[in-house]
Amino acid sequence: MAITLKDLLETGAERLSLELLWGEGHLNREIEEKALNRPGLALTGFFQYFAQRRLQVFGLAEFTYLKSLSSEDRAARLREMFEKNVPGVIISRNRNPLPEIRALAEEYKTPLFRTTMITCHFINECTLILEELTAPHERVQGTMLEIMGIGVLLQGQAGIGKSETALSLIGRGYSLVADDVTEMVRTGGRVTAFAHELTRYHMEIRGVGIVHVPSLFGVSAIRRDATLDLVINLHPYKNDADEERTGIQPGTIEILGVKFPYYELPVSPGRDMANIVEAAALNYKLKLLGHDAAKELDEKVIGTFLRKAGK
Amino acid sequence: MMTEKRNIVREFEVLNKYGIHARPAALLVKAAGRFSCDIFIGRKGAEVSAKSIMGLLTIEGHQGSRLVVRAVGEDAEAALLEISALFENKFFEE
Repeated sequence: MAITLKDLLETGAERLSLELLWGEGHLNREIEEKALNRPGLALTGFFQYFAQRRLQVFGLAEFTYLKSLSSEDRAARLREMFEKNVPGVIISRNRNPLPEIRALAEEYKTPLFRTTMITCHFINECTLILEELTAPHERVQGTMLEIMGIGVLLQGQAGIGKSETALSLIGRGYSLVADDVTEMVRTGGRVTAFAHELTRYHMEIRGVGIVHVPSLFGVSAIRRDATLDLVINLHPYKNDADEERTGIQPGTIEILGVKFPYYELPVSPGRDMANIVEAAALNYKLKLLGHDAAKELDEKVIGTFLRKAGK
Repeated sequence: MMTEKRNIVREFEVLNKYGIHARPAALLVKAAGRFSCDIFIGRKGAEVSAKSIMGLLTIEGHQGSRLVVRAVGEDAEAALLEISALFENKFFEE
């Protein structure tokens, strides 16, 4: 996905204390490679491997080095860098750009920024923002909860009781992330779920209407985001449904290319869904701790049977 | 037409190496669940419902043991046919 300097400035101006010094009309430039480069090595004249598709960050090292050069060399090296048509140049530590840098930025129509941050903090934070801007994301139907550190997405057809189950779980002290529609974003192999900003922390209970969860249950009843761990699908009870009976090999579902354990839970009168969802989440947590009850019981059973069969 | 309550009994030998452990038990439970008749599986005088995984594990159906399957109800015959296929195919193990 292509991101522009404008995207970066809109998302990151505050977090990066970023200020545009020149280039208002050229902010639609694309950041072709979502990483930052410190051009120190290039400024010594080595341009054979120069990350010209990245944003260039001038820190203390670059400044000190440039100052040690004669004004002819300084101008020539900087020109060579700007000729490569880099997407943008950022000056850290709130320094004033050298007059040469400013002039070249205008000449090559390269936006020039300044940040008050020190270089390494800026690079860390800016890399995170570039990752966020380009991370794959998807909106999925489902209610997202956090149960004892386990992120659970509840899915199922309208009216099956997702919100009601969530309400019950909130009552037990767990937290709501999003009701009915959940935004997912992938960073690395991890998928983070959060609510759309407009509807965040609200949920709709049939017959009651829209409620504001933290007002009713307190701030501990909500979480801004949670990492997705497992997906539970509520469906109407059918006699011949092919649901999991042992839990030894749970099904999986893919969200944004990452596989998650997937449980089909039949809903029928007398089944307390909140209780069952809670048990599924806690059992998953137990598995993470290395205790797989289903597998352990099966191994015990098989061991016993092999002994008896051998007699 | 009079509805006839059928009661069919058959004996099977457990052929697969690991016996009726969790996976075969789940297959039996799923097969049994598709029929309305009551199905029981017994061994050495103890009998459990074929629709209960935990029950099936307790009858200790290891390899070589003989299990008595009893189906009671209208579709008993069809149910036994399906269950016998599972035993004959060694529960699709090995």
